[in-house]
Amino acid sequence: MPVLPKKKVGLISCSGEELPEGMLSRVATLQALERLRPNETVTLCLPLFLAGNDKERAFAKFYPTIAIDGCDKRCAARATEKYSAPPTASIVIPEFLAARGLDAPKTRRQMDAAGERAADALAQEIAQRVDEILGVKREPVAEPQTAAESEAVTATCSCGSGIPVTRLVIAGKEREIVALPLIFEQFRNDGKTPAELFDAVKIYNAIPAELEAAYREAILCAYAAHTLEKREG
Amino acid sequence: MTDSKKRVVIMPCSGIGKAYGSVGREAMYQVVEEMRPDATTTTCLSLLTLGDADAQALVREQPTITIDGCPSACAKVSVEAVGGKPATEFRVFDVYRAHRELKVRSVSELGEAGREMARLLAEEIAAKVDELSK
Repeated sequence: MPVLPKKKVGLISCSGEELPEGMLSRVATLQALERLRPNETVTLCLPLFLAGNDKERAFAKFYPTIAIDGCDKRCAARATEKYSAPPTASIVIPEFLAARGLDAPKTRRQMDAAGERAADALAQEIAQRVDEILGVKREPVAEPQTAAESEAVTATCSCGSGIPVTRLVIAGKEREIVALPLIFEQFRNDGKTPAELFDAVKIYNAIPAELEAAYREAILCAYAAHTLEKREG
Repeated sequence: MTDSKKRVVIMPCSGIGKAYGSVGREAMYQVVEEMRPDATTTTCLSLLTLGDADAQALVREQPTITIDGCPSACAKVSVEAVGGKPATEFRVFDVYRAHRELKVRSVSELGEAGREMARLLAEEIAAKVDELSK
């Protein structure tokens, strides 16, 4: 049976090879992914928005995202918005460090004590933003999840596990719906009702209120065609 | 970006989610900072993908070496997408194929074997830099 990916928060770090703050972005993002919120976060290499296909570009449409940028060029936030969807939250590291009175590491390759402090604080900030987005309440000082609680402690990129994108003509215009075949298969197997089907589609797709009826009709038609196709083998 | 006149651009994939991405980045730093600091430079791959004029001019006008950590080949694809032609494309996996005893520990901590893999790759890249700099 197909399994819909769990709703998680996508962390998009700038690649930042040129700057110490770029390394800080990557290190703190990995801390959040591997240690602080391993079960609630996923990532995607930033250049995949350009180099990848529309499945990769659906990433930020499917997952709420946090862009973490090492400089005010804000590559992560801008690329996410340009190629996928606007990030839900954005952190610009020089602003974050200034607000907290922290320092960046001195080099772009090796962490030092100041960099470690900054990375820890930044990772905690990312984790807090994840909780806010998912509506999770925790103690103010969040302890890392233990290995037993986490599904994996090594961060992996979500490339290659792309979210399928279906294009439907709705209200006279071609529009993208993410995860539709997965949702259809799950509902077909579970024998759920069309009303529940549309609710599930709405979890994974932002549907404008004024077009809800048109979306509902188009999605139910697509579901009928999908079911027929499966029956006929 | 430092003075980049007549320098070979070493462009690794950003690779935050792949251990081989970390190996590629470390190899780049070894070449740019230790092995051939006067003959090489780098820039952020993200800048390239977003159409930064300086980053695009750099990979169009200077010989460029790409390093990719997975089959998506983001570094190569991104350089080509802005009109650059990589002089050489390195794939971290090829180093692993030649040295299967080297197992990288993780994305965030390469471990001794991962650092050795990066060093081997850096040596290959440095040799290519010497060829391109003649």
